Amino acid sequence: MQEIITTYEPDNSLKKGYVSIFSQIVLELKQNRWLTYQLFKRDFLSSYKQSFLGVLWGIILPLFTIAIFIGLNRSGILNIGDIGAPYSIYALLGMAFWQFFSTGLVACSNSLVNAGPMILKINFSKKSLVIAAAGKAIIPFIIQIMMVCILFVGYGRTPSILGLLVPVLIIPLILFTIGLGFFTSLFNGVMRDIGNIISILLTFLMLFTPVLYARPKMGILATLTKYNPLYYLVSTPRDLVLKGLIPEWKGFLIVCFISVFLFIGCLFVFHLTETRVAERI
Amino acid sequence: MDKETVISVESVSKKYCKSLKKSMYYGAMDIGRNMLGLSSKSERLRNSEFWALNDISFEVKKGETLGIIGPNGSGKTTMLKLLNGIFWPDKGKITVKGRVGALIELGAGFHPLLTGRQNVYINAAILGMKKKEVDKKFDDIVEFAGIGDFIETPVKFYSSGMFVRLGFAVAVYCEPDILVIDEVLAVGDIQFQIKCFRKMAYLKEMRKTIIIVTHDMGVIQRHTERVILLNKGAVYGVDVPKDAVNKYLALASCGYDELGAYKTSIKIDANKPQLVGAKRLLGNNDEQDLCLKRKIYNKNEFRYGNGAARIIDFEVLNSDGKEINCLKSMESIVFRVKVKFYETIEKPIYGLLVRTKDGVELYGNNTLYNDMDIGRQEKKQIVWAEFTIHMNLQPGDYFFSAGVAEMISDGILPLDRRYDLAHISVLPADRSFGIVNLNTDIKVYHEEHS
Repeated sequence: MQEIITTYEPDNSLKKGYVSIFSQIVLELKQNRWLTYQLFKRDFLSSYKQSFLGVLWGIILPLFTIAIFIGLNRSGILNIGDIGAPYSIYALLGMAFWQFFSTGLVACSNSLVNAGPMILKINFSKKSLVIAAAGKAIIPFIIQIMMVCILFVGYGRTPSILGLLVPVLIIPLILFTIGLGFFTSLFNGVMRDIGNIISILLTFLMLFTPVLYARPKMGILATLTKYNPLYYLVSTPRDLVLKGLIPEWKGFLIVCFISVFLFIGCLFVFHLTETRVAERI
Repeated sequence: MDKETVISVESVSKKYCKSLKKSMYYGAMDIGRNMLGLSSKSERLRNSEFWALNDISFEVKKGETLGIIGPNGSGKTTMLKLLNGIFWPDKGKITVKGRVGALIELGAGFHPLLTGRQNVYINAAILGMKKKEVDKKFDDIVEFAGIGDFIETPVKFYSSGMFVRLGFAVAVYCEPDILVIDEVLAVGDIQFQIKCFRKMAYLKEMRKTIIIVTHDMGVIQRHTERVILLNKGAVYGVDVPKDAVNKYLALASCGYDELGAYKTSIKIDANKPQLVGAKRLLGNNDEQDLCLKRKIYNKNEFRYGNGAARIIDFEVLNSDGKEINCLKSMESIVFRVKVKFYETIEKPIYGLLVRTKDGVELYGNNTLYNDMDIGRQEKKQIVWAEFTIHMNLQPGDYFFSAGVAEMISDGILPLDRRYDLAHISVLPADRSFGIVNLNTDIKVYHEEHS
C-alpha cells in the first residue's frame, strides 16, 4: 500500500503554486463525497428531532411573510404590480427560491462555528462541512415546491412544461449560495459579528429583491434590481414555471458566469485560509 | 526523512494570542493576506501573542510508542493538534507518513439526538473511513464498545461510559497508521481499560505508531518506549520512560520558579550528584556526601530538592545490625538515612520508596502517612531516619529511594529527594514466582466422606 505523505508548514498552499492547488481541491471534494453526504445526513436527521412540527418549521415563517404581503396588497398600501398569475403562487414560488438562498447562506455561514468543538478535535475536510450545511435549504425548498403544485391544482392552472428545467436553472443559485457561504463562514468563524450582519442584510436584501412583488418598470428600485444578481437568480426559474419563457436571459447568463466565478474564487480562498480558522474559532 | 521515520517535526513553533479581540483582528488579517496570495508572515510575534510551542524538533519511527508528558500548559495538546493537522505550525515543518487517527476527545462529533448507529457512520466518515469499510467493521465496533441493543438509541440517553466506549471503538477501528491518544484512556471502567490496552498492544504488534499524552506516569512506564518531556512550550528532554518520569516529577514538585536552576543542572554528574533546583543554598555544601562511599550506592540515582536539608549518608542493615548488600526474601532489614539541616524546618517529613529496576513503584511510606509529629528541626541539626522493612519480595534487584520534605501551607516542598539511592538484591528463600512474596501455605487433602 502506498503511504500518503502529508506536510504541514506555514503558507503551504502558496508554496505549491495555484495549479496544484486546483487539482488538490478537486481531489479533496471528490474523496470526501461520502463525508459530505454523512454531514448532510447529520444536519438533516438532527434538525427535525425533538420537535412536534419538525420539518414544517421550515415553511411556517415564509408563509407568514407571504400572508403579510397579501394583507398589504389587499389594503392597498403596497402595489405588487402586474404579475400575471395568482399572487399566492407567484409569492410562494418566489419565496421558495429566495429561501433556498437565504437559508443556505445562513447555514453555510454558521457551519464552521457550529462545528467548532469538532473542528478542534478532528481533522477533516471543512469544505464538506460548508457544502453539507447548504443542504439544509433543500427540504424546505422541496416542501414549498410541493405546496406550489397543490396551489396550481387548486387554481386549476397548469404550469409551463419548461418548468421541469428548474433543477437545472437553480444550479447557478446553488453555486452562488455556497460560494458566498465559503466566504462568510470563514469570517464568521473569526468574528461572530458576521453572522448577525448577514441576518440583517438578508432581510433588507429580500425587500430590495422582487421576490414578493413584480419588478417596477422605473424608479430607483428598477435600477437597483438591474444590478442585483439575486433578482435574476430568483425570477428566472419563476418566470419559466409561470410563463414558460426567460424574459431577461442576457442578465441571467451574466449572473450564471458570476455565480460560477464566485464559487470557484471563494472555494480557492477557503482552501488557502481554512488552516487558519480552527485556532480562532 | 529516512524510510522508518513516520513523523518528522522540524523546528516547529506555534503561537497563540492572549487577547480575544486581537485574535479576531489578527485572524481576519491573516485570512485577508492569504486571500490575496501574500504570506501571512506567521514567524513574527505581534502584540499580545506568545509562543505556545517554540522550536520543537523530534522524529518518530514506525512501530514506536512515544509518550509526551509535561506540566499543564506545556504544549502537549497543541503538539498533538499540530501532528494531526488541526492546527498548522507558524514556523517549521511537520511531515507525516500515513493516516493519523487522533483521540483527542472520545465521541467528539457525536450528535446527542442521533442513534448510536447513525453516529457511528457519521463519526467514521469524519475520521476518514469509507462507506465500505464502515459496513464491514460495524458489527465489530458495536461488539467492542459493548453497548448491545442501545445502538438504536439516541446517544443522549447513553451513560457517559457507553458514550466514550463507542467513541473509542470507532476511532480504533479506523485503523490509523499513527494513533494519537490524549488522556482519554482514563475514562471507562476497568474492563474497558483492559480492552483498550489490549487493542493498543495489538496495534503495536501490527507495527502501528502510537503517541500517548498523559499525566498517568504508570501508563508511561508500562506502555511507552521513549518519552518527550515538554515544559513551557519547549522540549525539556527525550528519554527512556523511567528517566523522563523522574525528571517530570522533579519538574512538577520543584515549582515553576525553580525551573531555571533545574535546567542548568539537568546533566547530573554521576559521581557527584548535585541537588537540582537548589539555588538557595549552593555553595553551602560543606558536609561530605557519604552516600557515594557506600557499596550499594547506585550512581544512576536521580536527585532533586531545594537543599534546605540534605541526605548525607545512608545504611542498609540486617537484623543483627550488620551492613548488607543483599538479603533473603522475607527477611527484615533496616534502611536508615542521615539528614543534615541547613535551615530551620518547621514540619519535616521523611519518606521511603521501593521500586523495581523498571521504575515500577512497589511501596512507599512516610512519616506524614504515619501521623508522626516530628517537630521542628533547627539549622545545623543532624537526624537519622530509620525504616524497618519486611522484604516480602521475590528474588531480584530493587532500589530504595529516600526523601526529606517540608510540610508547607499549600503542599509538600521537596528538600532533598534521592530516587534509586540504594541498590539491593533479594535472594531466593523458597520457590515461587512473581514480584511479591505472599508466603503461601499450601495444603492438599481429601474431601471427607460423611
